[in-house]
Amino acid sequence: MSEAIRVEGLVKRFGSFTAVDNISFGVKEGEIFGILGPNGAGKTTTLEIIEGLQKPTEGNVSVLGGDVRRESARIKSLIGVQLQSSAYFNYLTLQEILKLLGSFYPRRLSPGELLDLVGLADRGKSRVDQLSIGQRQRFTVAASLVNDPRLVILDEPTTGLDPRARRNLWDLIREIHARQVTVVLTTHYMEEAELLCQRLAIMDHGRIVATDTPDNLINRIETTYTVKLQTESPLTGYQCKNLQKTAVLQETGLDDEESDSPSSTYLLRLDKTPEALNSTLDSIVRSEVSVKHLEIRPATLEDVFLELTGNELRD
Amino acid sequence: MLALTVANLKMMARNRQTTFWALFFPLIFVVVFGLFDFTAGSASEVAVIDLDETTASRQLVSSLREIEIVSLQEPPASLETGRQMIDEGNLDFLIEIPSGFGAAMDGGRGSQASANGSEETGFRPVTLVLGTGNEERSQLLTGILRQLTDSIVLGVRGDELPTTVVTQQVNTREVAYFDLVLLGLVGMGIMAHSIISIAVRISNYRNMSILKRMLVTPLAIWKFFAAEVAAQLALALVQAAVILAVGTLVFDARLTGNVLHMLPVIVLGSLVFLNIGFILSAWANSPAAASGMGNVITFPMMFFAGTFFSTSALPWLLPYAADALPLAPMIAALREIGLEGATILDVWPEMAWLAGWVAATALVAVRVFRFS
Repeated sequence: MSEAIRVEGLVKRFGSFTAVDNISFGVKEGEIFGILGPNGAGKTTTLEIIEGLQKPTEGNVSVLGGDVRRESARIKSLIGVQLQSSAYFNYLTLQEILKLLGSFYPRRLSPGELLDLVGLADRGKSRVDQLSIGQRQRFTVAASLVNDPRLVILDEPTTGLDPRARRNLWDLIREIHARQVTVVLTTHYMEEAELLCQRLAIMDHGRIVATDTPDNLINRIETTYTVKLQTESPLTGYQCKNLQKTAVLQETGLDDEESDSPSSTYLLRLDKTPEALNSTLDSIVRSEVSVKHLEIRPATLEDVFLELTGNELRD
Repeated sequence: MLALTVANLKMMARNRQTTFWALFFPLIFVVVFGLFDFTAGSASEVAVIDLDETTASRQLVSSLREIEIVSLQEPPASLETGRQMIDEGNLDFLIEIPSGFGAAMDGGRGSQASANGSEETGFRPVTLVLGTGNEERSQLLTGILRQLTDSIVLGVRGDELPTTVVTQQVNTREVAYFDLVLLGLVGMGIMAHSIISIAVRISNYRNMSILKRMLVTPLAIWKFFAAEVAAQLALALVQAAVILAVGTLVFDARLTGNVLHMLPVIVLGSLVFLNIGFILSAWANSPAAASGMGNVITFPMMFFAGTFFSTSALPWLLPYAADALPLAPMIAALREIGLEGATILDVWPEMAWLAGWVAATALVAVRVFRFS
């Protein structure tokens, strides 16, 4: 399978700040590829270099077989782009905006077809400011498809959406994918990366720490179980010590700080073995931890991210 | 690019409030200056040629000096130059006191005089030369002069009065103050709208990442700006047409020149102001800041470029600085064409100056412009 995007040794510096620090990855044609990472990881900068909005400091980037520096115009006519927080003309209707954008491209889809695709067929005469946030986001996706592109780049398409609107947008992205379009998107939602993307690059501090399918990423980490433990009162030093014999203990501080209850929440990350699970549960009972709530779940991308970067991913 | 221009015009038409107020703000001035006669309150410029130089004639001159609406000027060299000054609008009235004015009175003391007794007594009336404009003021001044002369003559002669004042009318190519202001307002309106509207629009586009969105399409970005400029130029022409139409049709401004010759002036002027708008949009961090900066530039320029008042009375080097502002040659050219019947070729110095401004501002705009 040929590659839609090839990034080799890409570096982008702004003065003394290195936004993208020597990254390499490829996106296969026809896949949904996600770049997962916290804000400021360099995701948007990477996309903007691929889109031709910024010039790389070092390294090579080719898109659909052409170098972004030399074939920028041809690449721009073949790809579709949704920018983060890009709005559209306030005083034009959806149809008019799509028609106008289409007029910039040699090959284009009709406004009616595009609106139909994103489920806004009946809003063609509305203006952008009359749409809900979810509809607006779907409209910007429609706008990125105006030239019937082979590759669509979406920068945080679901940020700021409520769960239902987010799922709608996932369905839309899958539909686009079904039309043989390669999709590249960035996100900082684990769930989105896990459920929507076929392959993922995990990015942190300008570097790519891993690239693989979500399943492979989860399978290759050391821990498989996570025990979420909520206690009536904070653990004592003795209790902690006992638990740390078989698990990595982490206090999350997620509890409501305004409530009077001194309850605390901990995450215990265990090894892949059932023995580790057994002895951890045993420790909890033997050291008389006042359990309020206990939950055992398999490892998720969140754990992968934590293990790879040492940081929690926050919105 | 045509599609973009059309889209721009559509957006401006739909953004009715902003466009309307920006565009027709000068109309408020048109109405104000059309309804009030600002010249009415000011003093008339009057020159006296005293060929007599007797006590009586000096008394007349000093009485005139005390009249509030009379501003006495240096007397012109001759009656003929005086008439010419009136013709050119540099003087409102000219009074000639004939030689023998005082002597005739003395000599004729006690003698009988008829209404046309000048021959009999040797008395010659004072001549008042007036222009064709401002009839009210002419009547008023004729009355005043007659009264003054009468009282002097009466005091001396104490008998029936001869005709003391005769009037002569000079046909002036009269340019009313309102006409001057109207053309100033055309320039001012285009300036204010072009600068502020483009600065706010582009700054808005940048804030909403629309400029960036354009950059990821294959559209050559110069076309985006060309379409912006084309739409604004179209609007400037509409604005000029509306202001001139209201001024001439509603408030009877008289334009003698060929309005079509104003087109190139308006286009060049708009280009300068659009460039300034682009520059401001690059400096401003928000549309509100852009609007504020626009006002800071347009308000002083409106006054200093002579929209309402002549700037020649400014102190020090300021008149030269005022003339260098881009609005000044634009208004000057519009006035020459509209009021003096000049052609576009006649105003080449102003056009050259404007072209220089276009080039200079374009250069700066290209240097400072930023997309995000």
